[in-house]
Amino acid sequence: MTKRTRNWLLLAPAGTWFLVMLIIPLTVVFIFSFGERASSGGVELALTLEQYTNLPARWAAFKNTMTLAPLGTMAALLIAYPLAYFLAVKTTPRWKTILLVLVIVPFWTSILIRSYAWIFLLGGRGIPALFEWVGIEGLRLINTPFAVLVGIIYGYLPLMVFPIYVSLDKLDKRLLEASSDLGAKPWKTFLQITLPLSVPGIATGCMLVFILLMGEYLIPALLGGGKVFFVGNALVDLFLQSRNWAYGSAVAVTLVVVMLITVTIYMRLISRLGASREDVSIM
Amino acid sequence: MENGGYVGEVEPAGKKPIAELRGVTKRFGEVLAASDLNLSIAEGEFLSFLGPSGCGKTTALRMLAGFETPTEGDVLLDGKVVNTLEAHHRPVNMVFQQYALFPHMTVAQNIGYGLRQIRPRIPKAEISERVSKALDVVQLAGFEDRKIWEMSGGQQQRVALARAIINEPKLLLLDEPMAALDRKLRKEMQIELQDLQRQLGITFVLVTHDQEEALSMSDRICIMRDGRIVQIGSPQELYDRPNSRYVADFVGTSNFFNGKLQRSTDGLSEVLLDNGMRIQGMPGDGLVDGQEVCVSVRPEQMKLRRQGKGLEVEVHNRIFLGEHTEYLVTHETLGDFLVLAPRQADLSEGAFAVRDKALVSWETSAALILDRN
Repeated sequence: MTKRTRNWLLLAPAGTWFLVMLIIPLTVVFIFSFGERASSGGVELALTLEQYTNLPARWAAFKNTMTLAPLGTMAALLIAYPLAYFLAVKTTPRWKTILLVLVIVPFWTSILIRSYAWIFLLGGRGIPALFEWVGIEGLRLINTPFAVLVGIIYGYLPLMVFPIYVSLDKLDKRLLEASSDLGAKPWKTFLQITLPLSVPGIATGCMLVFILLMGEYLIPALLGGGKVFFVGNALVDLFLQSRNWAYGSAVAVTLVVVMLITVTIYMRLISRLGASREDVSIM
Repeated sequence: MENGGYVGEVEPAGKKPIAELRGVTKRFGEVLAASDLNLSIAEGEFLSFLGPSGCGKTTALRMLAGFETPTEGDVLLDGKVVNTLEAHHRPVNMVFQQYALFPHMTVAQNIGYGLRQIRPRIPKAEISERVSKALDVVQLAGFEDRKIWEMSGGQQQRVALARAIINEPKLLLLDEPMAALDRKLRKEMQIELQDLQRQLGITFVLVTHDQEEALSMSDRICIMRDGRIVQIGSPQELYDRPNSRYVADFVGTSNFFNGKLQRSTDGLSEVLLDNGMRIQGMPGDGLVDGQEVCVSVRPEQMKLRRQGKGLEVEVHNRIFLGEHTEYLVTHETLGDFLVLAPRQADLSEGAFAVRDKALVSWETSAALILDRN
């Protein structure tokens, strides 16, 4: 077997998967997006921009996605970083394992079940009831953007914690001693050494969470109660309920384009931030 | 001293101590890393901690740097107790074992790091000027904008050195700085470090397990074992007057013959060796009659002859080393030992061949009677 054929064989499974499950469906969706809704639902192929000119009708879904996804990513980062730092730098090896397992454990349960738990917690008999008990009435949490945000942060936190934890864990602790030895106070050591050296972890974590959030639909559906719509929910609605495949395809294509643009800008920013490092090329 | 041996000057005469350890003990949980260390480091001195790994030398260094606090006793810098003073407040800098250079900064940014922490701020122009000067000192002029990973091991070590000395510390700590360098580079760096120390007048404290390194560079060596200081002294003192078999073995090479101390008269004692022979020698301090001891004779103090008095041996192996010839000889009851013959002796008496009979002798003053430990 030549080296060349061996290389092709190694790439074949992933390549086939990529082609069948991603490239072909995306092409189909792209073609559909220029079509029209068939009278019985589905799509009738055509060459019209009608679906794209109709996009503003779904503006709310885009707006929600584009505000709650970055917001959720930021919030997850702010909560995950101190946790990852604590796990990587401050704990003893024994506690480290226990705490890491605790971070993963929620992943062993379906997100559906965990979101139902939040429905109860945020619902009338949950946290609002507690507030009522201390005299604060009329608090409504469920079916608000806040509820969706809480669900998002809860669901995606481990995805943020792990990359940051890894980058902090492999950080040579002698660098922190060297910084202190050279006269830097602890918080300056953090700003000048720890934080810049954990940028790859932060970048990976944010990227993972952000991309997945852009396509999220389950959490808004359950905790937003049909009031806080994401693009994902719009797609489910268009493809399965109203069976307007052409319009749905246009929305999907737009989502992909928006995502590509945001991610490109983001990558540029990150690589400039870590310009002096070669190991920042994350993806 | 508890072990009763010759421990040398705890305080170097005449000079002001820049750093002191007073009865310093450090425990990590159950582990005793350092035990009752007493030491005074003089201004401008080059002192080495020498010992095998786990002997507590690095712990001692880390307590001077401020990375560890002593469990008991006091660490003094410039006459002030600094036990709990954090590293970033100490006028002390360290060259780390694997250099610990900041990978996300250039060479110049690494070296200027210490100066950038000072408040009120030092002007940028002055920092870059001082960085250039420090690079000159370590012979890396023009390397300012290089990345750390573009530098070789030897260059990285110089950067680490420059990063430490630019702050003009009272004490420069070096933690096995040459361990990662190859042999040739190590020799070069040793000479450079010594020159640098004389040039800057900074007090150097080196930690090493390499006796050659310690012997060639230090004014004084502090030999450690199991968390304790065994002996402190100049390289010559340690070589000529070791206080125990451990030191004699660690500093240089020696032949040891086990026996019991018989009579101690003034300055000279007799040892009954395990094989029944009696040997005279110079007793170390604190030995008592009847004690299990060993007699140490350095290979270069032994003479190999064809005629006269001496131990009858057979030459077992011969290694020609240029200016010396190393003979491994065998005695019927004492076993194998080493004799180092200068080239001159080989030339005048004729070299011995393997399986030749020979006579080994030495001056009584060359036989040191030492504690067996």
